Amino acid sequence: MPRYIVERSFPEGFELPHGQAGVDVCRGVVGVNEDLGVTWVHSYVRDDRRATFCVYDAPNPESIRRAAERNGLPVERITRVTVLDPYFYTPSTALEPPVHVPRRV
Amino acid sequence: MRLLERDAPLATLHRLRAEATSVGGRLVFVEGEAGVGKTSLLGAFRGSVPNGVRTLLGSCDPLSTPRPLGPLVDIADDLDVSFARLVREQAPREEVLGGLLAALRQNRDELVVLLDDLHWADEATLDALRFVGRRIDSTRALVVGTYRDDEVGRDHPLRVVVGDLATSSAVRRLPLEGLSEASVEELARGTDIDPVELHRLTGGNPFYVTEVIAGAPARIPSTVRDAVLSRAARLSPAARRTLEAAAVIGPTVDPALLARVVDAPATEECLARGLLQTDGHAYHFRHEVAREAILQATDPGVRIALHGRVLKALEAYLAGDISLARLAHHAEGAADRDAVLPYAPAAGRDAAAIGAHREAAAQYARAVRFAGSLPPAEWAALLEESAREHGSIDAMDVANNAWAEAAGIWQRLGDARREGVVLAAMARGLILAGRNVEAEAASRRALEVVDPLPDCPEKVEASSMQAYLRMLDRDDEEAIEIGRQAIEMGRDDPGAMASVILAWNTVGSSRILLGEFDGGRADLETSLRLAREHGLDRFVAVAYSNLASALGEMYRFADADPYYEDGLRYTIERDLDGTRFYLEAWQAVRLVHRGRWSEAGPIASSLVSRPGVSSISRTMAHLALGRLRARRGDPDAWAALDAALAVSEPTGTLQRLGPVRAARAEAAWLEGDPERSASEAAAAFDLAVRHAHPWHVGELAWWLTRAGASPADASAAAEPWRLQLAGRWREAAAAWEALDCPYEAARALLEADDIAGLEQAHATFDRLGARPAAALATRRLRELGARSIPRGRRPTTRANPAGLTARELDVLRLVVRGLPNHEIAARLFLSPRTVDHHVSAVLGKLGVGRRRAAAAAAARLRIDLQNGQSAGPD
Repeated sequence: MPRYIVERSFPEGFELPHGQAGVDVCRGVVGVNEDLGVTWVHSYVRDDRRATFCVYDAPNPESIRRAAERNGLPVERITRVTVLDPYFYTPSTALEPPVHVPRRV
Repeated sequence: MRLLERDAPLATLHRLRAEATSVGGRLVFVEGEAGVGKTSLLGAFRGSVPNGVRTLLGSCDPLSTPRPLGPLVDIADDLDVSFARLVREQAPREEVLGGLLAALRQNRDELVVLLDDLHWADEATLDALRFVGRRIDSTRALVVGTYRDDEVGRDHPLRVVVGDLATSSAVRRLPLEGLSEASVEELARGTDIDPVELHRLTGGNPFYVTEVIAGAPARIPSTVRDAVLSRAARLSPAARRTLEAAAVIGPTVDPALLARVVDAPATEECLARGLLQTDGHAYHFRHEVAREAILQATDPGVRIALHGRVLKALEAYLAGDISLARLAHHAEGAADRDAVLPYAPAAGRDAAAIGAHREAAAQYARAVRFAGSLPPAEWAALLEESAREHGSIDAMDVANNAWAEAAGIWQRLGDARREGVVLAAMARGLILAGRNVEAEAASRRALEVVDPLPDCPEKVEASSMQAYLRMLDRDDEEAIEIGRQAIEMGRDDPGAMASVILAWNTVGSSRILLGEFDGGRADLETSLRLAREHGLDRFVAVAYSNLASALGEMYRFADADPYYEDGLRYTIERDLDGTRFYLEAWQAVRLVHRGRWSEAGPIASSLVSRPGVSSISRTMAHLALGRLRARRGDPDAWAALDAALAVSEPTGTLQRLGPVRAARAEAAWLEGDPERSASEAAAAFDLAVRHAHPWHVGELAWWLTRAGASPADASAAAEPWRLQLAGRWREAAAAWEALDCPYEAARALLEADDIAGLEQAHATFDRLGARPAAALATRRLRELGARSIPRGRRPTTRANPAGLTARELDVLRLVVRGLPNHEIAARLFLSPRTVDHHVSAVLGKLGVGRRRAAAAAAARLRIDLQNGQSAGPD
């Protein structure tokens, strides 16, 4: 299944409640994702809380957007990526040549 | 015999039985390898169901060409009198399916239907299974089907049906595993057999294990086949002959039949050795695996002779009650040409009448194999029937070869009428295979051949087919002229009705493509009306489909909408999947142009990933996804566009290449690669100009000019493109807005030389989520020296959360109010079947399994049920 980075922007700052309430929100998002075959791996939250970078495994970009809609989350940009792990880079895990190189992104 | 390790699956079946009566009908697939105990599980379940619960069992035949509707014929009489009559009288497909569903629905008491060995199911049974499976929750029945999952590979028709149904919340899959070591040990207790070794070799397969134990061999046989054969090896020659005869006869062995096939059958010995069993009426093998093993080990010469004796016995003794499929099966087994030739085609016709096209094709293929030296006219007629059935199951290569051969024979015999009709059929078959150039040749040849004849249905058909090809190629004036000739010639000839209906359809589509919208619609509606009057469902569906796609191709989206809605409802109700998927694919393409991207995405991506979607529908879905992803700046745009091109390119037609090349040109340009954009556009530009297609000429010319090229002749361009090409961007934007194309309107504004225009463009791109175009607008604003560049704020919730359409919101409101489906149907002036479909779609989009949870889910997603808006923060 392809992996994607999803960038989200929160102009008023991203908030997650403390305690059990926050856990429930995360679980709810995971549940909605599951129905669409989308897996939220984890996210990186920018220090000013105005942006997040979320790592997802999903069948296609449309399912990511659909999950986002159901969860009430914004989507700024979706990029497809391959994992590069420095400690596990071997001849068999080496990167494939690029599928398609646009002139300007 | 107590079943080991089957308490859990039995409990599941009983739980589902309870759910079926309380919540809504259920369909369960029990899956596992041969010998794992699926049939035994059904037996145990049947035995543990309380008295008074009606339980019916039907089994599929292990024949190469099974009886059409086999297991349903088995249970028909016990299920319902009306349904049994429909089956007996070989009623049309819709009536049989409707009758089956009605029989399952009208049951006030509990009803359990068991269907065994579905991996052997014929096409008509699979069709019924899919139809019922999609609507099972509106009944109170529990349907349990079993199949050998190791024999159902990717291309097996049952796989498509199971995959399609398994996503429904009313359908379950129940896999059965082999026994554990502990159970094998328990079974092997008291014998010398090493249970660990036995478990390792057999994988815990119950039949294999028990077969080995019963045979008590010196060494454990390494395959289940060897286990069976080693038991049979101890039989006397007479008993061995008896067993082989039983194997050839089939799973159920009538004693009287057996006595006619083998002199003095040694059944006592077979029973004593446990190789045959009896229920008092007939003999059976302990398991189909055993019968297959014996059959395979039988000497081929002996087998042929046995098939011959079975055939003679069936003909003489039980004549009239034996299915043609079975007679044809034994005829082939006996290599008896004189028997195959009458039986196989007759069996094929029967199967075709019921809609079991796969079995019909197989019967005709069988007949063709044996036809050898038939008189030419009969041989040609047989080839035609074979071609038609192979065409129905999309085996286009076989079909086209058969048609070609038949045409050759009719030519040699000098029968112009037959030759013409065959060539016309072949033309259509070649189109479906994407071999358009050859199709054109066949069609022209058909016209030549029928030209000298007086008016007749064959002549009408040849003309109608040529008109159709012209329309596909966008030679619209010619299509109209030839189509009208066909109508004139055939309108009073009932034998030419189908050709005339197609001709009205063709003329109407071409008129729309020339801009004669009202006239074209009228002609297509005539086609629709005639098709409806004559009960030709598929032609009705095609009329809706062409209305929607032709109007859509001319950017008349509002006009296309009602035909799409009506066509979708029509095809859903009748399970006409082929046309339905094509309708949906074009709708996705239109929605991308209309800026309704969150609706377009799910439709297109489900068509691409769903099994059983035709190549051409999938291609249009790829086209929609490619444009959508390119406009959004999402990944995988080129994967979709490449897939669309791969299928379109060999056809060489503008209908496919026009939109695909345009979408690729746009995608390249959005990535900042104008040279690529120009070369994509150039690849189809001349074709577009040759056919003077206003929309393709316009768009392709635009991309050529953006790259600095000057297209030769863009005078045919449609109005908005014409304005853009002339630099009149403000008027162009207004023209696009009038057509409901917000993205195109904003893109026209990108040419603006004032800040206000560019800011408006940016705002639109931002609202739509068109990242690359928004970035371009920002850059232009900077170039113009704009002081403040809008950052862009998109609402985090949308007007239609969960992507519900207006109609689905209507349905949801009434579901939440607690109305049952038939009442909702009455309130909204829909049919109950359509409401069933909408309710499933709504529950699916809300991510819940039952209606009761719908209100809570709607609240969680902040759907305001009063006016469909979201009440979320913005």
